Amino acid sequence: MAEPHLLELENISKYYGNIIALKGVSTFVNAGEVMCVLGDNGAGKSTLIKILAGAHQQSEGSIRLNGEEVRFDSPRNALASGIATVYQDLAMVPLMSVWRNFFLGSEPTRSLGPLKWIDKAQAKSIARDELLKMGIDIRDTEQPVGTLSGGERQSVAIARAGYFGAKVLILDEPTSALGVKQSGVVLKRIVEARNQGLAVIFITHNPRHAYPVGNRFLILNRGLSMGSYAKDEISIDDLTQLMAGGAELEALEHELEAAGAITQADMTTSTD
Amino acid sequence: MNDVMGNTSQTDEDGNDSAQDERLTYRGIFQRLFIRPEIGALIGVVGLWVFFWAVTVPFGTAGGTASLVDFASTPLGIMAVAVSLLMVGGEFDLSAGAMTGAMGILVIMLSLEIGERGGAGLNLWFAIPISFAFALLIGFFNGQLVERTKLPSFIITLATFFVLIGAKLGFSKLIVDQVQVGDIRNASGYEFWRRIFASQWQRNDHQWSQRDVVFLILICIIIALVLFAVAEMQFSRRTETSSSTSSGTSLIISLTGVAGVIAGIAVLHSTDGISGNTLGSILIGVGALLGLTGFGRKRFQPQGSIGAISLNSSVTRWLIAGVGGIIAAVVIAASMDASNTANLFFPFTHQGLRATLFLACIGLGYAALFISLAAARRVSVATRSLVLLVMAISMAGLAFFVRSQSTSTKFRADGFSVMLGVAAVMVIWLALGLMFSERASVDAQADRLGSRLLATAGVLTCAAFVIRLLFTLPSEIEAEIIPAKFSVRTLWFAGFTAVAVFVLGKTRFGSWTFAVGGNKEAARQVGVPAARTKTQLFMIVSAAAWLVGMLLAFRLNTIQANTGNGEEFEYIIAAVVGGTLLTGGYGTALGGALGAIIIAEATLGIPSARWNSDWRFLFLGVTLLLAVLANRSIRTKAESMRR
Repeated sequence: MAEPHLLELENISKYYGNIIALKGVSTFVNAGEVMCVLGDNGAGKSTLIKILAGAHQQSEGSIRLNGEEVRFDSPRNALASGIATVYQDLAMVPLMSVWRNFFLGSEPTRSLGPLKWIDKAQAKSIARDELLKMGIDIRDTEQPVGTLSGGERQSVAIARAGYFGAKVLILDEPTSALGVKQSGVVLKRIVEARNQGLAVIFITHNPRHAYPVGNRFLILNRGLSMGSYAKDEISIDDLTQLMAGGAELEALEHELEAAGAITQADMTTSTD
Repeated sequence: MNDVMGNTSQTDEDGNDSAQDERLTYRGIFQRLFIRPEIGALIGVVGLWVFFWAVTVPFGTAGGTASLVDFASTPLGIMAVAVSLLMVGGEFDLSAGAMTGAMGILVIMLSLEIGERGGAGLNLWFAIPISFAFALLIGFFNGQLVERTKLPSFIITLATFFVLIGAKLGFSKLIVDQVQVGDIRNASGYEFWRRIFASQWQRNDHQWSQRDVVFLILICIIIALVLFAVAEMQFSRRTETSSSTSSGTSLIISLTGVAGVIAGIAVLHSTDGISGNTLGSILIGVGALLGLTGFGRKRFQPQGSIGAISLNSSVTRWLIAGVGGIIAAVVIAASMDASNTANLFFPFTHQGLRATLFLACIGLGYAALFISLAAARRVSVATRSLVLLVMAISMAGLAFFVRSQSTSTKFRADGFSVMLGVAAVMVIWLALGLMFSERASVDAQADRLGSRLLATAGVLTCAAFVIRLLFTLPSEIEAEIIPAKFSVRTLWFAGFTAVAVFVLGKTRFGSWTFAVGGNKEAARQVGVPAARTKTQLFMIVSAAAWLVGMLLAFRLNTIQANTGNGEEFEYIIAAVVGGTLLTGGYGTALGGALGAIIIAEATLGIPSARWNSDWRFLFLGVTLLLAVLANRSIRTKAESMRR
């Protein structure tokens, strides 16, 4: 390991009082890779993101960015270090226009003496071009973000993170509220972001979304790391098993199979 | 079954692979303008003004306008603009009203030595900055408290409100043993600061014999600018390849038009009185049409096919309703006794009932015609032109009807020419629509040019009316016109509004204001300093309250302890009427100013129309309800999320 990883976590733990939210999580991600964090509800995924995004601080362990140890004490701080987080629902201001959302917090300005104002023309054209790169054509960037579809809104957030020089892009359950097709669109964006050289951390509880795009998988269960695997070390079935804590899911699967035998027969006749 | 499902999901998809999003039908200029939050308020301002101009004496005179803008400016207007900013940022300030009076009392107590215990007796050069710092401190306190406790600002500022009421009364009683403090005239440094906060412009002292010529020229330029801007935003530009028309012919047509306009202005200028107006107006109208035709031939894509006239059910229905309404209005008006104007606008008299019905029929009739026009737009150009023609003819007919029936010069001269002008603009618009084809997609360059021209026209409109209001003609002096006094308060109002519009619309702080009001968590996520932004908004409101406090102190000289109490709801109403969302994240500063003007118009207009001023509250309530309903539909439209 001559070259340090872009982002490396070592033994990250987080305690809220006597509650162990996260214990001993270690993994890494490199530029141009997708690292998927998988886990069921309550597995500690959101705690991990919040630590990486600077909203919370870890109780133990260290985060290394390019081999240097860092500690983020605010979202702004994490953002400045190149770690951008796209939250599922909090990403956008629905009543604001697309371009204002795109540049929110880092608006390009022009100035005349002490007067400073937003360079609207430039902002609009950049927003349009960057979204075109992601494959979305928004002709009128003045339209409110609320009128966009869920997938389009995620794409705007991803494009924004990429444009503002994020090196690591954290996506918090970007597909959970979306339909099948929309999820496909977002997964495509993730691959595009990866191909542009970003390190992507993709949080999800759906192994079927994670497996096709991921290079590395970190599985969490009830606050504990079930291990971090490269794609060639693990199959999608193993992934699913590990996520739910192995044995439990196996038992569940048997139950479901027994109950589903009849339904399956029904379905085959109806589709014919 | 599967095929159907596949198709629907196709249309629901992002549409990211196609070059153009086919689900977006392109909206014309009027539809795009109508979604601006302040449009409703602007229509309200103009509509109410026209109504009160028709039914009262002071509206439209210089003196009436002076008191209207003064009433609108302080305390209501300045505060409504500041409160609009705060509400866009998602917060309320109930202490804003009480704070205006508190700041006036504070500056008086700081600057005088009065009463047994005495004031501070500071020079105003110290007292005014100190009171300003104190105002900022209150705003800072409000903002920080709201941010740190995460309590609703409603509760926090309610507490501040009571603290201020108590402090005003308590300190007034304690220091001067009265419920009013004054007199600021005795303070040292008064003369200088009076000029800043309370100077006046006496209209009759400033004569300008060329006033009306300049006014008329400005109005013509404004109409030309607006028509050009709207055409620029509505019609598609000629592409390089298709420009084959001879520019010589276009130039000749344009120049003929310009000559016509100049001749029209000359006619209007040389004949004062009613008869010459028609000829002048017609010359100007035809000239403008020719000018635009020549210019447009060079600039815009010619209309391909205008389609067939097809009066489908909704067009016909509304057209008949509209024409019927106008005819009914004419019949009602003809049955009135034109010379009896005593009870003209009190609805429960023989004469008043007819007058009210007349106005209602005209209003509803044109509303129906506009709906018909909107429906016809979707059918074909020819159909739309037909409806526009009906509207223009009915407007012109109404103009001549009013001129022949009315006994008042106001209607026969000004009302007549404005109505005829509107009819002319409709005809011009109709002709342009037949000649040039409409744009079907976004053209950012044309839209930018168009909106700049519209803004220029707006500024020129203000300039034209300011010139007309501020200067007197020598003939008016001879006729012993009542002097009108314009106060510097109006200037403060205009300046404050301009700054607020710039800040909210053009700066980072403005963007952040929308963001913290619309979705605070999202704003914080991308690095917007939400707490700081909100605190600064509270400080803007208290700075505005300070300004109003100064203006009140220098106008009234003594301030009552209860000055401003309870006015905060009027500020909020003005902001909401101006299109600001009660829940934050949407609105404009200009809307707040327009909302304040609406309230001022009602407050001054209702007693001028010889109604009991108690009706004002009924009016306020109805206006607020209408505004909130309109806001609600805007919000649902903007927020309708597609998943």
